[in-house]
Amino acid sequence: MRSLGAPSIMTLVLLLVVAFAAPPVMGFYSVPPYWFHVAIVAYFYAILASSWSLLAGYAGQFSFGHMALMAVGAYTTGLLGRYLSFGVVEGIISGTLLAGLFGVVIGYLCLRLRRTYLALFTIAFSEILRLTLMAEHEFTEGPDGLPLTPLFATTSKVPAYYAMLGLLVVSLVFMYWLVNSRFGLFFRAIREDEEAAAAMGVHVVRYRVTVFTISSMIAGLAGAVEAHYVEIITPNIFLVLQMSIVIAMAVIGGLESLIAAAFGAIIIHFALELLRPVGNWRMVVFGLLLMLTLRFFQNGLLHPLLQRMFRQRALAETVAKRQIPSEG
Amino acid sequence: MKLELRDVSKYFGGLKAVDNVHVTIDKPELIGLIGPNGAGKTTLTNLIDGVHKPTTGSIWLNGARIDGLPPYLIAQRGLGRTFQVTRAFRRMTVMENMLVPAMAVRPNAEKRDVEKKACKILELLTIEHLRNELGRGLSGGQQKLLELGRLLMLDPQIIILDEPFAGVHPKLQETIHGYIGQVRSQGKAIILISHDMDSIFSLSERLIVLHNGAIIADGLPNEVKKESVVIEAYLGKEEGEGDDA
Repeated sequence: MRSLGAPSIMTLVLLLVVAFAAPPVMGFYSVPPYWFHVAIVAYFYAILASSWSLLAGYAGQFSFGHMALMAVGAYTTGLLGRYLSFGVVEGIISGTLLAGLFGVVIGYLCLRLRRTYLALFTIAFSEILRLTLMAEHEFTEGPDGLPLTPLFATTSKVPAYYAMLGLLVVSLVFMYWLVNSRFGLFFRAIREDEEAAAAMGVHVVRYRVTVFTISSMIAGLAGAVEAHYVEIITPNIFLVLQMSIVIAMAVIGGLESLIAAAFGAIIIHFALELLRPVGNWRMVVFGLLLMLTLRFFQNGLLHPLLQRMFRQRALAETVAKRQIPSEG
Repeated sequence: MKLELRDVSKYFGGLKAVDNVHVTIDKPELIGLIGPNGAGKTTLTNLIDGVHKPTTGSIWLNGARIDGLPPYLIAQRGLGRTFQVTRAFRRMTVMENMLVPAMAVRPNAEKRDVEKKACKILELLTIEHLRNELGRGLSGGQQKLLELGRLLMLDPQIIILDEPFAGVHPKLQETIHGYIGQVRSQGKAIILISHDMDSIFSLSERLIVLHNGAIIADGLPNEVKKESVVIEAYLGKEEGEGDDA
């Protein structure tokens, strides 16, 4: 299990200081509030990408239902707020818990499904949920959008910026702890070889469902917070295309690294915003980048860089067989 | 310790893979399990460790019925196995491979103690220097040793070794022989499945022969190897023998 040394912690602290100091600095230089919005959405995608990386990269479960679970969180808080007068905090908690419950159900339903079939099942789940929300438009407002109570009673984006950044930090710390605990060990063993893991005493069902539940709750939490921030949600937020973007962010960043996936999402989101003047060509660039990554950098573009930056012990693959004393 | 298979049969559709097997292991001993290819040895192993459920019959471990239990529970109850084709966790380090079974069966153990034990076992297996290498970076023989090491971390009472010598050069076989001797001296029961007859006859205290899914012999190795049914199973009938003229 990897641990961070002193230089790594200092680098992280420095990055955190920069992130937390950004608003006053941006305010000092009169940076338009629009860029606060870009940062907030970037952090939102970072939470989704890293929590999906936990599920797919660490546990080997390639689910296409992650955005749907994000939407469960968003719609739960929105509907409870509208019809039962739930406050923002109660709504976010409820949304998180309900997303977790969906995660438990999907986790159990998907126990015997692998790879392609798991992906298809979760795509189907996602579409069923989206179409249900569209169909029940008298209840959910459908494509017109369900309005939500603002996250903060202010027009300034600074509180929302800190809220989303704080959520990102807390979720990354939690997931980092998880993957370095025995949970993470078992997730990866199950990913590698489920049958062998079971023969070693690992309760495969429990840990598969656990990782599904945890990643669903994180997605639901992010969705609920983001929904209150943007103050309106529609079923289109979890089109399969949106899921594909999250997957691409995680893959380009580094599928088997939470931090690389998060950084990948932040950098890509900012890059896409900066490339807006070129219109749809930015998505072409994004697609090419994804193809290049898959072909030449299967560990992601950022993961190797981050390994050097954080001076983690590189687990370089040995190619040549080693000579050991007994083999002569 | 006691492992009992009571009239266990397994059908895959119309194919009878295991035929009415009745076996009891109730003391520490090294049992060779042999048979021609397709005799049902690995299927029997998969039945014992919960990968498959018997079609008929029952399996008991220390007085409790275990057929139908999931493999992880059977492992936690004291039965461990290796696989015919090595199954190291390839994208995890050697040390992480070793930690998995220990943490699974003893969740409250101190990580430091577990790592110390793992290092001792890796040293015994002569692969301690590879502790930080990924599983996929090891040679086939080293992966076999890793799988054996994982088994020791599980610390089961009954161990099934499925073809531990397959594809391994003689020097490494010696290491595995030493490992088996060490495990045997710890008072465990070992079921050794192998086509390597030299190893089987030098190590086994009891020999069970499987043919077409059924046990055709069970006894001391030197006696079993002389039985005509065993010779026939491996070499076939002599020409003219038993033919209707």
